Amino acid sequence: MFKFISGFSFSLCRYARDMERPQNSVARTPTDSIMAQRRSKNKSYRQSYRSCLGAASRLSHTPGWTARRLNTSRRTKSHNITEKVNPEDLALLVKTEWQLSYVTPLYQFRHTQLRSYSRQLSAFITAEKQQGLAVEVEGAQTSFRVSFSAVQGLGETDDDAETVLLQIHSKPVFAGKDEAQKLVWSGWLTCINGNPEYLHLLPKDFTCLPLFGSRGAENLTSLVKSWFQQTFDCCFGPLEINQTCLQWLAALWTNCHIESSIQHLKMIWTLPVEPPLQITYTVNSQDVWELWNSVRNPSLESREEEEAARSIDIEEVTRFMQGLKSHFYRHFRLDLSAGRLSQVSSALGSAKFSGRIKMSNSRYVLTTLTLLTECALLKMPI
Amino acid sequence: MSLLKPFSKLPGLNTANILLVESEEQFQQSLADALVEETSVTVNVRLAKSLPLPMENDESRPRIDLVVFIINLTSELSFQSAEASLKYLDPGYFLGKVCFMVTNARNASSPAERLDAVRKLASSLHCPLLFAEDQTPDGVASATERLLTILKVAAGLVPIATALYVSNLTRCTLPLDIDQPSFD
Repeated sequence: MFKFISGFSFSLCRYARDMERPQNSVARTPTDSIMAQRRSKNKSYRQSYRSCLGAASRLSHTPGWTARRLNTSRRTKSHNITEKVNPEDLALLVKTEWQLSYVTPLYQFRHTQLRSYSRQLSAFITAEKQQGLAVEVEGAQTSFRVSFSAVQGLGETDDDAETVLLQIHSKPVFAGKDEAQKLVWSGWLTCINGNPEYLHLLPKDFTCLPLFGSRGAENLTSLVKSWFQQTFDCCFGPLEINQTCLQWLAALWTNCHIESSIQHLKMIWTLPVEPPLQITYTVNSQDVWELWNSVRNPSLESREEEEAARSIDIEEVTRFMQGLKSHFYRHFRLDLSAGRLSQVSSALGSAKFSGRIKMSNSRYVLTTLTLLTECALLKMPI
Repeated sequence: MSLLKPFSKLPGLNTANILLVESEEQFQQSLADALVEETSVTVNVRLAKSLPLPMENDESRPRIDLVVFIINLTSELSFQSAEASLKYLDPGYFLGKVCFMVTNARNASSPAERLDAVRKLASSLHCPLLFAEDQTPDGVASATERLLTILKVAAGLVPIATALYVSNLTRCTLPLDIDQPSFD
């Protein structure tokens, strides 16, 4: 395994010459034409609109309710949510590594019945654990206590359903009689800034909480998932954080360097050679901040507007990654575009391709969760 | 600049020549092995990593009927190398004698934007875009079949059909919402 650490210093003028200044091309598509057709469920109308393209087009495109690609520009406000959200709940969310999955919409999930859900889930888990046991086990020893709780204030718009936090406490197997129950598994279901058109399209009984994070034993995770599937008729699936999403996270975290230092930006690339080569590319925070500034589009808004509230486009992210890759090529003659990015980490969090995410700073939880909600909505098979 | 020209040499009798261009040089091997199994026509397969082709072979190279660019969607380099090779083809090739073949389209690590970029490239050049699965022998066999259909037409071995006519039916078209951001 190779390890390259470079603490280089950038020359701003060199990069300004390399990247040409583009026009600000954030295209806003008219919201009436295509979206109105999606809302109308009249299939024959949709067919006739596309038939003008020719025979081949009908075969190449399957329409779907969910969208096909991530948003191309994002707002970058940092949210100080510590006053809105219960600090204990927030402390549970940050600083731990979660495994992500996507969830299809839940049928008849009521936020008012969380207590009864807790009892049902604990009974289900206890029953599953006791399957096959010949001897009746004493109730208090291996019983699981499940608690569902709704986290107030974590959503941004009114369309989003409230985030639900799940915790499972249980006594360890060889504990003494009076030891308290410890947290063995925790998880959450959330939807932050979900696509409003999609949310309005859902029938009334469905709640959309597409992002599911879990931490703990794998058998408990599968038990929770099967209980949800039985009770709410939904499907779970693994969520990978793909290349574009990892690049967005790298750019978003670099953008927050002014407010809270990222200390370094570490990327792990895998190259498909025999044997597979893994490259750890760590960049000094000051250098990566200078690079990020040099690739930003010139600001068109007034000077008084806060720097951090501007939106970032996908072209800026692409130029940023291209700058990092070409610097690597200049020194080591290895083109990183032949490989793929598998992990991005900084002081603000870490994200792996396999779907593991860790958020270390509570101010950027909302931005990260918005991005991940979009990824989950994209991957959902509906 | 040495362009590859489509009509500067004479064709062979009952022969079709195909050029597979792939920057990773993996799928083209298995595809070539399957292509030469064809019995009704003599198929000559030439392999290249990128264009331009070396000048030394120019005399002995037969007339190339079909150029296939194989792009692996999980690697950005593959796409860039294919794009860079396009410059070395004579424009006469784009009248039905160029085809794009894409692998790993369903892989989780291939971003959707790259597939969109390949789609835009193929539709701007009026070329067909084929999706292939390169890991199983079944996938290689079905990719071979589709390539042979296009190759026979491009080599002029099918009566009545010409490469330009078929390319009009098989060319890649863009879906309407390809440039739309999904969420706003």
